[in-house]
Amino acid sequence: MAPLGRAALLVAFGCLTYAALAGGYAAARRRRRLALSARNALLAGFGATAVAVAVLVAALLRHDFTFAYVAEHTSSELPARYRISALWGGQEGSLLFWLLVLTGYSSIAVLAARRAGQDLLAWVVPILGTIGAFFAFLVVAIASPFHTQTAPPDGLGLTPSLQNPYMLIHPPMLYLGYVGLAIPFAFAMATLLARRGDEMWIVVTRRWTLVAWTFLGVGQLLGAHWAYVEVGWGGYYAWDPVENAALMPWLAATAFLHSVMIQEKRGMLKVWNMLLVVLAFCLAIFGDFLTRSGVINSIHSFAQGKVGPWLLGFICAVTAGSLALVFARLPMLRARTRLESLVSREATFLYNNLLLVALCLTILWGVAFPLLSEAVRGQTVTIARPYYDFFLRIFGLPLLLLMGIGPLVAWRRASLRALGNAFLGPALLAVATGIALIALGAGSSRPGLIAYSFSVFVLASIALEFARGTRARRSLAGGSWPAAFGSLVARNRRRYGGYVVHAAVVLLAIGVAGSSAYQTVRERHLRPGQSMEVAGYTLAFQGTTEGQSSNARELRTHLLLSRGGRSLGSIAPGKNYYPAERSSSNEVAIRHSFLTLEDVYVIADQIDAKGGGVYFKVLVKPLVNLIWLAGAVFVLGSLITLWPDAREERRLAARYRAEGALVRV
Amino acid sequence: MTAALAIAAIVAAAAVVLAALPFLRDPSPAADRFERQDELERRTLELAEERDRALAALKELEFDHRTGKVSDDDYRRLVGPLRVRAAQTLRALEPEIPEPQEPQPPPSPSPEPITPEPVPEPYPPDEITPPAPPLVPEPGPRN
Repeated sequence: MAPLGRAALLVAFGCLTYAALAGGYAAARRRRRLALSARNALLAGFGATAVAVAVLVAALLRHDFTFAYVAEHTSSELPARYRISALWGGQEGSLLFWLLVLTGYSSIAVLAARRAGQDLLAWVVPILGTIGAFFAFLVVAIASPFHTQTAPPDGLGLTPSLQNPYMLIHPPMLYLGYVGLAIPFAFAMATLLARRGDEMWIVVTRRWTLVAWTFLGVGQLLGAHWAYVEVGWGGYYAWDPVENAALMPWLAATAFLHSVMIQEKRGMLKVWNMLLVVLAFCLAIFGDFLTRSGVINSIHSFAQGKVGPWLLGFICAVTAGSLALVFARLPMLRARTRLESLVSREATFLYNNLLLVALCLTILWGVAFPLLSEAVRGQTVTIARPYYDFFLRIFGLPLLLLMGIGPLVAWRRASLRALGNAFLGPALLAVATGIALIALGAGSSRPGLIAYSFSVFVLASIALEFARGTRARRSLAGGSWPAAFGSLVARNRRRYGGYVVHAAVVLLAIGVAGSSAYQTVRERHLRPGQSMEVAGYTLAFQGTTEGQSSNARELRTHLLLSRGGRSLGSIAPGKNYYPAERSSSNEVAIRHSFLTLEDVYVIADQIDAKGGGVYFKVLVKPLVNLIWLAGAVFVLGSLITLWPDAREERRLAARYRAEGALVRV
Repeated sequence: MTAALAIAAIVAAAAVVLAALPFLRDPSPAADRFERQDELERRTLELAEERDRALAALKELEFDHRTGKVSDDDYRRLVGPLRVRAAQTLRALEPEIPEPQEPQPPPSPSPEPITPEPVPEPYPPDEITPPAPPLVPEPGPRN
């Protein structure tokens, strides 16, 4: 079936190239039928890509080792679920999956926005077509997943660390996030090309940006949890370039989601918003470059890499082209209003934007500097964790504080008296928390103490905002408190959904501060019968067992865990050995406490399977489970924000329908 | 192999038909140009956005005042220009609406907190059918 896969990809490439070229001509010459034809070609590109993906998935499931990709990323013993996830486990497959998501998103976007202005949509199609054609070119000519060979007796298997349930969902989530940023980018560039100064592109892409941002955020949290339970070093985020690759566009998109509100409410920051959209999209492609070019391990592997130079060239072309277009349209983007006061809601949004972008660019520099250093000077330089931690504190803590300040400040202008009244309660609570923490002995980490105090300030300000809003709503409409609360949220989902997301970020901050600033780590070599004490816990080593799963030999050590004489059960960290992959993995044991949200995290190393000693590393991580809880709250807030608001949709439709038939909403 | 090529041919043919569909459906149209905003439409849309912005700002101000984020003094100072702007954009979009009055100077601070009346129902922001503000720019203190 490989010829079918190749043919389908060729058709996809042809369709997307046609969508780009014919669509561009149609948009420039205002050719109605040709524009529709280009749009249909974009849809056909998705259909053909779906056929190619179906061919590869079928080959993966059938163990068809005549496909080189299947032989390189699966083995006959690999469970079926990981044969499916092998689709995105290798470079060629992941590029094909990227193309599928891109063409799928593009198709939905142009169909969903078909009532937007034709002149706008006519430009969206060739932009999405160009991006799609580029990735189709990569899988057709540079990194095809349909190379065939004489079938070997067995495949090489999938990297053990990827044989984890999180790998079934984490990469697709990230891809849905990365690729989703192409949609607001395409509409933003289209509005410039169509010389439209209105904000329809923002209205059309608002939900797209939120969806991409949510997927990217959830994907990162899932990746962090995967690293925590699977990679086995005791942490969840290592500032690895691949992790940073997802964080950077997420930060840029976060900045955009905030600043676009200023444009909607005040008609300001139009140029800034365009630049943020370009930055977010380019960083998304840069993320793909980092993860797929091989540039991270060594600059030499990049030189030998197949897709790296192409991706880098594409990023340069997109950046240069987009910036040139933005600067060419500067007069159209000029704002007619100005910031009235530095103490206002919009000013806090602006400060938030500056901090987010500064953090994003700092991380970008941390990722890019070692690459540049090796490329230019031939010296290998490593930017280590302290660099990132330092700038996270410098920019992150003020950002946290701003999340509490923002909701309390009025739009346009706020008097100091009103600010004083609004801040008094949350500020007192924050100070009291800081004092209480010092009294409880938690003053050992100053950043942790500040983070906790700021977190309380933010949570208090959010609670206050909900309480005041509910009271105002109830005084207007009457009814019960729950009804007033529901009505308040339903009537402005973006605002109150946003506050829920802020609460999630606060939970995340508390979890990160607790689990990093206040964690306890002990390492010890134990023989059966010996025990060790860590932060009030006792771990008694019982012995070692050996088992066998379908594709791995499993060594487990058994420890009895207790605290204050009370047994907490047994845990079994160990290692898996994968003969097909000729590799091993750490299988850590984690004991969660749902009461204190604390984890006891145990890594077993240098295991003597014949009953000898084992080297244990034990980490007690306070409040770490708040990080995962934050993920659930984040999704809840995003869903509230994303939930369709029929009244707002009608209002916006009326705006565009009423103002001239030619807008054709 | 043959089946694969047959499926590939079907995929290719379907793609070509789909792309050609607009021409097949409408082989000789009366006009084949899509329309584009002219200057008047562009200006109208800008005004509509400006109107929505002004009305949303009024509602936002009203709500912030109700929740205590905006003091009475700030409310009095800010509400007038916002109403004037909303009225101007409404009038520009619908010329039959009378001219707005000139904004009055801010009144002297009232000893009692004011209860704003201008917007019939204070909404949280971004609500459907924003209430049309009356064309009196200043509510003035209640004495």
